[in-house]
Amino acid sequence: MKTNDVILQTTTKVVFFIIFLFSIHIFFAGHYTPGGGFVGGLLTTGAIVLLLLAFDLKTVQLALPFNFTVVTAIGLLLALGTAAGAIVFDVPFFTHAFDYFELPLFGKTSLHTAMLFDSGVYLVVVGSAITIIQSIGGDD
Amino acid sequence: MAFQILLNFFIAVVWMFMTSSLTPSTFIVGYIIGLLLIIMTRRFFKGHLYVWRLWAAIKLTVIFLKELVLSNISVLMLVIKPKLSIQPMIFALPTELEQDWEITLLSSLITLTPGTIVIYVSDDQRTLYIHAIDVNDVDEAIDSIKNTFEKAIMEVSRG
Repeated sequence: MKTNDVILQTTTKVVFFIIFLFSIHIFFAGHYTPGGGFVGGLLTTGAIVLLLLAFDLKTVQLALPFNFTVVTAIGLLLALGTAAGAIVFDVPFFTHAFDYFELPLFGKTSLHTAMLFDSGVYLVVVGSAITIIQSIGGDD
Repeated sequence: MAFQILLNFFIAVVWMFMTSSLTPSTFIVGYIIGLLLIIMTRRFFKGHLYVWRLWAAIKLTVIFLKELVLSNISVLMLVIKPKLSIQPMIFALPTELEQDWEITLLSSLITLTPGTIVIYVSDDQRTLYIHAIDVNDVDEAIDSIKNTFEKAIMEVSRG
């Protein structure tokens, strides 16, 4: 039976962005406060799962036209690349580097290669979790 | 309405560049000046000024807070009364609202005020089915929702 989901769908259209924004905040907060790539990735997954619950699989695939298996692969490559990049500079595998930069708009910011590794973790978490949910949900 | 806000924003930014101080307080001053200009030239715009709709939105919030307090008290009275003499019922509320967000807002307001819960929105979105704890007269209940929430929402959306 097809029911009228107007309340759920309209609320989702607003709440999705709030959850997504919070996941980005959690992702960037990881260095000094609780948070990081894993929790941020799971929160992003939660936002997409909310979309999947309110709409159907095809609509979400149209809205977010990513192949999430490829997203997982890109995340793994990013993490491996960050770890392996240390070898080029003649330091042990997985050695991170950081420095302070004057960025426009942000002011003095410390950029750390651990951030790149974290983005890899984020992409792997989002990609694998969404792949699991999509392949369980999409029987047709 | 969106055009008026955009114009007001633009005037404020131009004011910031004219006074060559890019601070939030200059922006607010420019915004107020732009608002006065837009109110002065209101006959050029199609439709009402967006200030009215802002005012209607504030009024809707006040109505909601008032209803929330009043109906919470009435539910409290129901709970502490020793004898349970309530008349629960499910009734249909025909609505004139059309857009999705209007329906969602109306349903959320009805559900958030204790004593009434929206349980279903009909497929053509013309009727809301509402469960109420204590209703003596269906027409009266429908009228009270229509006169408070629906009217206020329509003022916000139609200006």
